[in-house]
Amino acid sequence: MAKLILKNINKQYDKAVNTNAVTDFNLQVKDGEFIVLVGPSGCGKSTMLRMIAGLEEITSGEFYLDGKLMNDVPPSNRNISMVFQNYALYPHMTVYDNMAFGLKIRKTNKKEIDRRVREAAEILGLQDLLNRKPKALSGGQKQRVALGRAIVREAELFLMDEPLSNLDAKLRFQMRAEIAKLHQRLGTTSIYVTHDQTEAMTMASRIVIMKDGVIQQVGTPKEVYDFPENVFVGGFIGSPSMNFFNGEIVDGRFISEGFDMKVPDEKLAMLKAMGYVNKKVVMGIRPEHIELQNGEVGACYELLRAKIIVSELTGSDMLLYSSIGPQEFIAQVGSRTIVSPGEEVLLGFEMDRAHFFDFESGKRIKAYDSKQLADAPEKAYAAEPVLRYV
Amino acid sequence: MKQSYFDSMKNREKVLKAVNFILLCFGSLLFLSPLWWMISTSLKTMKEVMSFPPTFFPKEWNWDNYIKTWEAAPFDLYTINTVTITILVVVGQVLVNSFVAYGFAKIPFKGREVLFAIVLSTMMIPGFVTLIPQYVLFANLGWLNTYYPLVVPAFFGSAFNIFLLRQFYMTVPNEMIEAARMEGASHFYIWRKIGIPLTKPALATVAIFSFNGAWNDFLGPLLYVNDENLYTLQLGLQVFKGEMSTQWNYLMAGSLIVLLPVILLFFFFQKYFIKGINLQSGGK
Amino acid sequence: MKRKKFNYKRQEGLVGYVFILPWIIGFLLFTAGPLLFSLVASFTNYNITSQMDFVGFRNYEKLLFDDQLFWTSLWNTLYYVAFSVPLTTIGAIFLSVLLNQDVPGLRFFRTIYYLPAVLSGVGVYLLWMQLLDPSTGLVNLVLGWFGIDGPNWLFDPEWTKPSLILMKLWGVGGGMLLYMASLQGVSKSLYEAAQIDGASKWQQFRYITLPMITPVIFFDVVTSLIGGFQIFQEAYVMSNGTGGPVNSLLFYNYYMWNKAFKVFDMGYAMAMSWILFIIVFILTMINLKLAPRWVHYEGEAKR
Repeated sequence: MAKLILKNINKQYDKAVNTNAVTDFNLQVKDGEFIVLVGPSGCGKSTMLRMIAGLEEITSGEFYLDGKLMNDVPPSNRNISMVFQNYALYPHMTVYDNMAFGLKIRKTNKKEIDRRVREAAEILGLQDLLNRKPKALSGGQKQRVALGRAIVREAELFLMDEPLSNLDAKLRFQMRAEIAKLHQRLGTTSIYVTHDQTEAMTMASRIVIMKDGVIQQVGTPKEVYDFPENVFVGGFIGSPSMNFFNGEIVDGRFISEGFDMKVPDEKLAMLKAMGYVNKKVVMGIRPEHIELQNGEVGACYELLRAKIIVSELTGSDMLLYSSIGPQEFIAQVGSRTIVSPGEEVLLGFEMDRAHFFDFESGKRIKAYDSKQLADAPEKAYAAEPVLRYV
Repeated sequence: MKQSYFDSMKNREKVLKAVNFILLCFGSLLFLSPLWWMISTSLKTMKEVMSFPPTFFPKEWNWDNYIKTWEAAPFDLYTINTVTITILVVVGQVLVNSFVAYGFAKIPFKGREVLFAIVLSTMMIPGFVTLIPQYVLFANLGWLNTYYPLVVPAFFGSAFNIFLLRQFYMTVPNEMIEAARMEGASHFYIWRKIGIPLTKPALATVAIFSFNGAWNDFLGPLLYVNDENLYTLQLGLQVFKGEMSTQWNYLMAGSLIVLLPVILLFFFFQKYFIKGINLQSGGK
Repeated sequence: MKRKKFNYKRQEGLVGYVFILPWIIGFLLFTAGPLLFSLVASFTNYNITSQMDFVGFRNYEKLLFDDQLFWTSLWNTLYYVAFSVPLTTIGAIFLSVLLNQDVPGLRFFRTIYYLPAVLSGVGVYLLWMQLLDPSTGLVNLVLGWFGIDGPNWLFDPEWTKPSLILMKLWGVGGGMLLYMASLQGVSKSLYEAAQIDGASKWQQFRYITLPMITPVIFFDVVTSLIGGFQIFQEAYVMSNGTGGPVNSLLFYNYYMWNKAFKVFDMGYAMAMSWILFIIVFILTMINLKLAPRWVHYEGEAKR
């Protein structure tokens, strides 16, 4: 049985205004999973987290933890711990007291408190800082204390609300690994909110991508990266973003403004089966699937002549901001390449890695009966990832 | 090609600064002189006070003016009475307003904004509008000639202090309260263990302002207290003034005795006085 | 399933009411109740002991059309407000600007200027009675050094109110601190930008400092206006309970006090208090209405 079930959750702040902060949110989480809610700011991910915590009321829908309905349980009785974006450490208490606070309220005996606090301090490397006040800590140390405060409680569920966004880039990288390690060690079911898709990709066992209060896709990092359910997910996950081209499928070719190319057989078969011949579609292709061709041509590459606008060296790679006719896109190529702006180059599009989306709805076009999904959404989400490769 | 001294920006700045400094020095003499005059007069003999032209420094320092003053009226009784009232008022103001302000700042409930707007608008009501009917109320309760009218209202919150402390609570991140809520703490517990420690500086400010208000309150005792045994320092000093008419040396000694606690408080806790002012302006 | 009724969020709301309960009780008992009673009683001949008969608008009529002292007291009060409010505001701004020029000994000066502001009560009034004493006081002594023959201050009906305004100015340090805090909030980069644009010190004050502190000026003016209308204690003590020579210190509240607590004409006094309330209210509203024309709020007011 699932650890956590969120069923048809809705959140509406103002009844007069008919807009939802969260709409029809469904999710089942298994014990020990690390779920990351990701999306642009204002997408409802924090609201969702705060509803799980009990800091916000659930307007409608049901939230079960270990099979018990939690909607009306106050936050203090939910046995959930939470790490806040700005840490929310109590500035007048020492690190030790900060971590012990929750246990003291719960009247845990002194010995047990001491044992747990010291254990957590050891895990997080805070042994030498226990008598300091938060003011005397660095950002990373504060972050660790906040984590420590959450883990001493040995709660059923661990919530984190953008815990790394106040750290500088280097520290963020380091803490990301530490949180992942911590999760491996403790195995506590966790829900993590972030707007940073890199964090989501690197830490999550499953990612929930949200936009405007609605779930866009749920899946493992690999699934959402390789099979984005819609244009939004395709564009949001992955950096630099996926390139999109509008066009039409005619005579087995993808015709876009200024260029056209052959669609690989398998994809074409799928598109035909779904009735997209002579219809408008959106083609998406990730920058790393466009390569610079120096004469030799791979089997599945479609070659196009493009003009370099700007090239940007990121270190290991080079980003080529290029254009074909009026359309601009990015190609990610090896850093050893030497090109100059204005130069015309031959780019190879790895078309069997391309994605096709419905032009109207932006939904992924796939050989999958979508009616099945509508009938049993829970099954679909909970099920082992079906390889929907075509 | 001669350059005037003032052509250099640096020199002009220097002159401006000097003028500024001199003005400030002159001003502080102006501001301090009344206090010096009070001390000086309090030490003079009556003959010297009346002499013309008045002297800036007393010819001889008659410290026993203070003893005579203290003995001329029951200042010890007045002091005990005033201290009693002041302590009660300070305790009430600090505890109750902190509690109420926490509610307004950190607990969401229906109608909170409207009620707080009412709190603010009560500050606009001229005191005499409620003073007269309040007197009627206290008279009907049989509270005339007691300290109840001076002390009891302090335990029911004051708009200004609620406003001040709420301002301060607003600087405490909500997440801190939420974190404590999730750890299982009740609001009462959070107020005691987190709210009060975190707002200590503001509480000190409220304590000092309340002390000042209660210590210097003249109107309240004048209105509600008739029995001489219940007189406060302010009332006592007023009566003393009547008895001494123009014996300025004793009157100044009496005034200084009454003002001294406030002056000392000011020197020791100046930063809290200033904090209070800053909190006020923070609320625009 | 009706679980909306008693969920924990509502419980939290109840806790909120418990927290503000002391204020609610205090408000009903000491503000709202008295206001209501006062409003009703202002239409009666209430005298606290024997009578409370409805007299219609007679109190108000008598006040406005048949009470010379009422107009005297109103005039005295307006005089006091009209001079004390602008003078203290300008004085406070002036001092705060002087202190904002990173002068040596800032803390020392601040302490000295602020100290008189925290002193109040009978002690201060006695001190000023002595300072303003025509023959033995410090003020006329100093004026004498400059060859000025000082007035009789508290004994001359022309000079009684200026006496009180002078005393009020001694306490200008409170306002000064208010402005200092706001001046420190003005970003240094604004002055640097103005310097590069070639603004003189005066222009910097006029076009940067002043607009930036208008919200505090507004706050200060509104509160000191309300405060100014309520002047009572100093006049009571410093006129020895007489209202001063030729009633020149009989301020509005002072007259009201006499009516309420000396002759116990309470209905009449309460009618008076409502007229004051209305005057203060109208002035505050005018202030609020005029504010957008000259008060500059940086960004949109974010609480």
